[in-house]
Amino acid sequence: MDIERIRKDFPVLSRIVRDKPLVYLDNAATTQKPAVVIDAIANLYRQYNSNVHRGVYLLAEETTQAYEDSREALRRFINAESTQEIVFTRNATEAINLIAYTWAEATIKAGDEIIVSIMEHHSNYVPWFRLAHKKGAAVKIIPSKTDGTFDMDAYKSMLSKKTKLVGIAHMSNVYGTINPVKEITSLAHKAGAAVVVDGAQSAPHIKIDVEDLDCDFFVLSGHKMLGPTGIGALYARKAYLESMEPFLSGGEMILRVTLDNVVYNELPYKFEAGTPNYEGAIGLKAAIEYLESLGRDNIEAYERELTAYGLEQMQKVPGIIIYGPTDPSKKGGIIAFNMEGIHSHDIGTILDNEGIAIRAGHHCAQPLMIDCGVSAMARASFYFYNTKQEIDILVRALKKTKELFGHVA
Amino acid sequence: MSLEELFKEIIIEHYQHPKNHGHMEHPDAKSEGSNPLCGDELQMELCFDGDHIKDVMFTGNGCSISQSAASLMTEAIKGKTLEETRGIMDEYKKMLQGNSYDPDILGDLEALSDVRKYPARVKCASLSAAVLDQALQQKK
Repeated sequence: MDIERIRKDFPVLSRIVRDKPLVYLDNAATTQKPAVVIDAIANLYRQYNSNVHRGVYLLAEETTQAYEDSREALRRFINAESTQEIVFTRNATEAINLIAYTWAEATIKAGDEIIVSIMEHHSNYVPWFRLAHKKGAAVKIIPSKTDGTFDMDAYKSMLSKKTKLVGIAHMSNVYGTINPVKEITSLAHKAGAAVVVDGAQSAPHIKIDVEDLDCDFFVLSGHKMLGPTGIGALYARKAYLESMEPFLSGGEMILRVTLDNVVYNELPYKFEAGTPNYEGAIGLKAAIEYLESLGRDNIEAYERELTAYGLEQMQKVPGIIIYGPTDPSKKGGIIAFNMEGIHSHDIGTILDNEGIAIRAGHHCAQPLMIDCGVSAMARASFYFYNTKQEIDILVRALKKTKELFGHVA
Repeated sequence: MSLEELFKEIIIEHYQHPKNHGHMEHPDAKSEGSNPLCGDELQMELCFDGDHIKDVMFTGNGCSISQSAASLMTEAIKGKTLEETRGIMDEYKKMLQGNSYDPDILGDLEALSDVRKYPARVKCASLSAAVLDQALQQKK
């Protein structure tokens, strides 16, 4: 991978911020966009914009085709069997809520159990917590092991006939841990439970094969994989989608409306009420094609190298505390850390002054913060357009942070 | 913008060695507040003597800005009348909002003047004023 050439595809990466070249290391929050994505959206509005699935004129055909091409690109991207299994949503959060308000709402009963891991983002925790509260069901939380990996033994001991649903992050947005989803799913299925995989962090970085993972639901957010904001997707097995009631209702999701009856549309349109975000879908397709042109194996291999280098260099910073696995083969390019006696917000501000963008705070994963006994962490997260030189700049800035705060008494 | 302007020595000093830190036995007023998105937390306790603030203590958790601001604020208002305290808080808020203010009234609190150049951090510095405001409302 020719990173210097790749970086030129991303207009924002050449920005100067606070008199320094931008070092963008907040990719777990959102990624930057290549020109092909920006152009795809601009082209839509300049050349063929119309509503989808409605008009009988040429522009409507073109927009509808582009929208559906995106669904096909996404199907291929996650290796789903059919485009009928791909529902466009706003983001991963909306996709999880869709499951919670339809399938889970109809399935979970008092006394049932929902199992999630301690590593979940609030988006794969709060909807289940609310549902359990409403239904008189229980949420059980799988701890992580001391090295920040998934505790399979704890999980096995929690599974029972009461388990109806297992929610698991494919990749933790804090630890970066890549969880053994295939094994988790296989065990859940033996217990008779369905599995929701939160792929918001994994889909941008590692090859996704929902057939191989054998999960029942998989969700992702477009903006974390070079796409625009406001577009995400739910993958669900056809049998589930067929059995589920619609989530939102209105236009587009119906086949026929009479004075006394409503017939829902076929899959996946039954779950896409209202004019969809076709702009987002068209941008997402350009993002998917860009990722495929680089080669997803190449992306994965380069990011692993970057993560290994990041871990090695950051561990040399005096007083740094790194959370999650330090074995690069067990994680993606996310490194959460703190510095002794220095709050993560102060780290964030000092780094910002050096042109470095990182995240500081609870990362929408407060159960994990509680588990670690901290209220906040700093987090550097990489994408394929980052370089080892940028990691060097980060490490130098962290050392400077340490100096500025002196030695804590 | 140099970092030394924001993270002045006095700020680091109050962060690492806060003044008036802890609890009092019989506070007349107690209040707490947090910045839920970033996790800064602050609790304040006040003891009054007529219209004077006889004693003030705080505890908390968070960044250097939020915690040093609380420490500096307690120093600034201790022994002051309620009216003087209101005056200090008004000037402090003006400073954080980027308006002109009277540095003589603020004293050491002026160390936080550069926070306004970092809009994301203004809420860190504002927390102590908000928590103090709540505690003062309990004094009727």
